[in-house]
Amino acid sequence: MTQDMSNTRELVSALADGQLRGEELARALTLIEHSEEARAHWHAYHLVGDVLRSDELAAGSARDVAFAARLRQRLQQEAPMEHPENAMNLLAAGLNISRAEGLNRAEHPAANDASMRWKLVAGLASLATAMVVGWHLTSSDGKADGAPQLAQTNAPVPPVAVVEATPAMIRDPRLDQLLAAHQQFGGTSALQMPAGFVRNATFEPPAR
Amino acid sequence: MKEPVPPAQPATDHSDLLLVERTLAGDQHAFELLVIKYQRRIQRLISRMVRDSDLVEDIAQETFIRAYRALHQFRGDAQFYTWLYRIAVNTAKKFLLDLKRDRLVTQTALQPDGEEDETSRPGNEPITDETPESVLAAREIAQAVNAAMEALPEDLRQAVTLREIEGLTYEDIATAMDCPIGTVRSRIFRAREAISARVRPLLERQSGKRW
Repeated sequence: MTQDMSNTRELVSALADGQLRGEELARALTLIEHSEEARAHWHAYHLVGDVLRSDELAAGSARDVAFAARLRQRLQQEAPMEHPENAMNLLAAGLNISRAEGLNRAEHPAANDASMRWKLVAGLASLATAMVVGWHLTSSDGKADGAPQLAQTNAPVPPVAVVEATPAMIRDPRLDQLLAAHQQFGGTSALQMPAGFVRNATFEPPAR
Repeated sequence: MKEPVPPAQPATDHSDLLLVERTLAGDQHAFELLVIKYQRRIQRLISRMVRDSDLVEDIAQETFIRAYRALHQFRGDAQFYTWLYRIAVNTAKKFLLDLKRDRLVTQTALQPDGEEDETSRPGNEPITDETPESVLAAREIAQAVNAAMEALPEDLRQAVTLREIEGLTYEDIATAMDCPIGTVRSRIFRAREAISARVRPLLERQSGKRW
């Protein structure tokens, strides 16, 4: 019995130092959360550590029990906390603990898994877009890029008969008359050169 | 004279992360353990900014409640105490702003400069409007701890010093003391037992309460 109690307190001491894993860890947490005696030791061990680091931290330690009891009452009024989606797997993330030590990422997904999935999808979409655009550019520039290669080849280029085909253009004669009548209102082309089919439409706001 | 307490433990605190995870899974007892662990440091931090000891306790309570509500935002990339520290400072500042706005509290309840730095005050100066009894009680606790420490066998004293003051892990202590990790764990436990055996009767007499 005494040995059991001693073992229990040793577990609490090791838990205070974050040194427990697996079955021992589970047992210590169950003990300390449901045993007032174990909790008293948890308090005493931490108080000892605080005072060893600074005498100042002994101040008010007599009120620690009352403080914790008051806070417990307030916590009981708080909504129960359930954040399985935020089960952050802090231990694995912060301490690089291996799976063998009892943490399964499948059971404890990271808090940012959802956002990471979206980032992955967005990344893949960006990559696909870039590939399509790139392929398009390469295929259109391919003629230019291919030219030197063609120039290097000695194969005779067969003559190509070029047929000058004038495309039929459907025009409204009334539009031509209108444009001819109002030619002086037209703006110059930004191209600074005759631009046949390019016409500017301008709008002059009424003067105030 | 002892070194001022650093803002956070030097080693990554594995037990804090465990307790945060369990709290997030719906176990309030786990959060209470974090409260028991950090309440003194948080109250001392707040007492740097506020002189009234009742107000210090109220702000500390509010700090832990806010931390509990925001716990799902804790990412574990910083020490839990560092995270808690910021909440405490912000909560204290908000309290002070509200108090100044209300103009119901005299300036004597507040620190003259609103100082928030933990290490800015000389070690032995009273930090709140504590009674002579509470000052004496604190002194008794500190003396008991130090006397028990002096009375420890050398190997136990060395182990607990390396752990509590130097912040070494069990592995590092085992290397330093050239002994198995199990021996380190046992020595630290026995040292704590010996010291707390002197402290606990004092605490029960002073507070009149048990856990």
